[in-house]
Amino acid sequence: MDNQAVPEIRKRTKKRQAAGIGIALSLAACLFILLAAIRSGSVYISVSDLLKIIKSHITGSPLPAEVDPMSDSIFWSIRMPRAITAFLVGGCLSVSGAVMQAVLQNPLASSYTLGVSSGASLGAAFVLLCGITIPVLSGFMLPAAGFVFGLATVAIAILLASRIDRNVSNQTIVLIGMILSLFVTGIMNLMMTFYGDRSKQLWLWMTGSFSARNWMHCAILAAVGAAGLVILLMLSGRLDILTFGELQASSMGVDVKKTKIAAILVSSLLTGVSVAFAGVIGFIDLAAPHIVRRIFGPSHKIVIPMSFIYGGAFMALCDLAARTVLSPREIPVGAVTALVGAPFFAYVFFAKGRRSA
Amino acid sequence: MELILKNVSASYGNNEVLKDVNLTIGEGETVFIGGRNGSGKTTLLRVMSGLMECEGCVTVSDQNISKMKRRNIARLIALMPQTGETYFQYTAYQTVLLGRFAGSKSLFGNFDQEDKEAAKSAMETCGVYEYRDRLLNELSGGQLQRVLLARTFAQGTPFLFLDEPGSNLDIKYRAELCDYLCKWAQGKTSTPYGDVRNTVVAVFHDLAQARSVCNRTVFLKNGKIVADGKSSEVITPECLESVYDFDVAGYIENQVIIR
Repeated sequence: MDNQAVPEIRKRTKKRQAAGIGIALSLAACLFILLAAIRSGSVYISVSDLLKIIKSHITGSPLPAEVDPMSDSIFWSIRMPRAITAFLVGGCLSVSGAVMQAVLQNPLASSYTLGVSSGASLGAAFVLLCGITIPVLSGFMLPAAGFVFGLATVAIAILLASRIDRNVSNQTIVLIGMILSLFVTGIMNLMMTFYGDRSKQLWLWMTGSFSARNWMHCAILAAVGAAGLVILLMLSGRLDILTFGELQASSMGVDVKKTKIAAILVSSLLTGVSVAFAGVIGFIDLAAPHIVRRIFGPSHKIVIPMSFIYGGAFMALCDLAARTVLSPREIPVGAVTALVGAPFFAYVFFAKGRRSA
Repeated sequence: MELILKNVSASYGNNEVLKDVNLTIGEGETVFIGGRNGSGKTTLLRVMSGLMECEGCVTVSDQNISKMKRRNIARLIALMPQTGETYFQYTAYQTVLLGRFAGSKSLFGNFDQEDKEAAKSAMETCGVYEYRDRLLNELSGGQLQRVLLARTFAQGTPFLFLDEPGSNLDIKYRAELCDYLCKWAQGKTSTPYGDVRNTVVAVFHDLAQARSVCNRTVFLKNGKIVADGKSSEVITPECLESVYDFDVAGYIENQVIIR
């Protein structure tokens, strides 16, 4: 017994160490990507100058004389909020995708399955095409409309699903989400035919962009993202069990209906706030969780935080490509995520060998 | 602690599967549920564990099961499903550990040392501890079934409901499972309501297995209980023939395995 137990414990510690190293490497890579996203562009800055700028803003001390005030405004007011917004949006979308895949027990489910994106687009259409504004919201009219319409669509989908099917089965949820998305998109297309002259603007919004994002956007995203992460981590054990099917989950003590609705609402909140600030950016929410599962295994306690890191880093990288590859022209981020991501995802997914950890 | 079904009927859509069933399962009993395919055995197990809505009333420890929290039910009753598959690839050990969910108090769903010990000993009981790091899709049908069995044991409940637990097991594991169930049924489990004697309710298709584990036999036919009593008294050639519409005794007598 004893001489068996020793190698076993060693093996376990080794595995735990491997997971720890994986997490540390991922965090380091993520930081490196963020730094690259902030530094790359037409204006150069050294890392030490960048750190000085950050330090002076955090501590409130005046900027050291050797740092160009011009780079202060470029990096602190433009590039940093932009990169961080991209990171947070990517993280929120990926976490939301991971959770939807678990809740619906469907590897193809995404943050957008329940119609957040089409709802948000309709909201944006009202603002951009019809020019409806509420003075108090001023600059935040577009995100606010996107957010409210996006979440309203999900709420209607869940309400309809629970009306039609008392057990709120996954098939019902997915079907209702699809039907509602198509219907809402139909309304938006109808509007676009009436306001054809302004539909370019709407198209730009829908393909996603991070240009001209400020610290306010970052703060809101960070707050919603953190709250969502904590709640979803509290649900992580239930999500693990839910992937075994609803009957087994309830026999193991999970209140399936409550868990499902809570998880869907929180992940829709994450998607809603992301779409509101960045437009509809697909693909990352689908791909990042799958890659994370492949590396770290399917346990949600690790899939949820690592999806945030991987999705965020990937989004920051895509935004970097979007603004630099054809500079000074910008490519829509949504196009980059799909163009870069699709082949990469296919390679990771179909390459031989399962998860390495 | 008793589990009582009063005038229970259950249906899938318009198809009524259980018709006015009355049944009392006493603490410490070992009950075999038998009957033909589609006679309502699985549905009966589901209704008894509060997993399916029904007409009538199911109570456990004098509480209406439909009013209880899922988590509290799962501390008393564990149901082993016929199959269990997931698209997401958990390891055997992770799967078994999830069985500890209902009893865990951690806010973020962390499992403590006691949970890990329980998972380990359940896996050893079912002979799957050596496969603990295998992914579920790397297991054979029988191995997967033993992992699910281990998860059910790990749940640590006084009521154990098993739906054809031996269907994919080889003859050695089947025999071992029966031995273990007999031994387990002699013991007690501590619950929020104090120590409770262990109770097994199991669906088997193998009558020898059923006889070896269960003292009491309940036969279902077309959703109704047609026989209920001591296994030694109920399992007779006449009764089997009327339950299975087939000369079971004659069939068993003419079986040649080793001669």
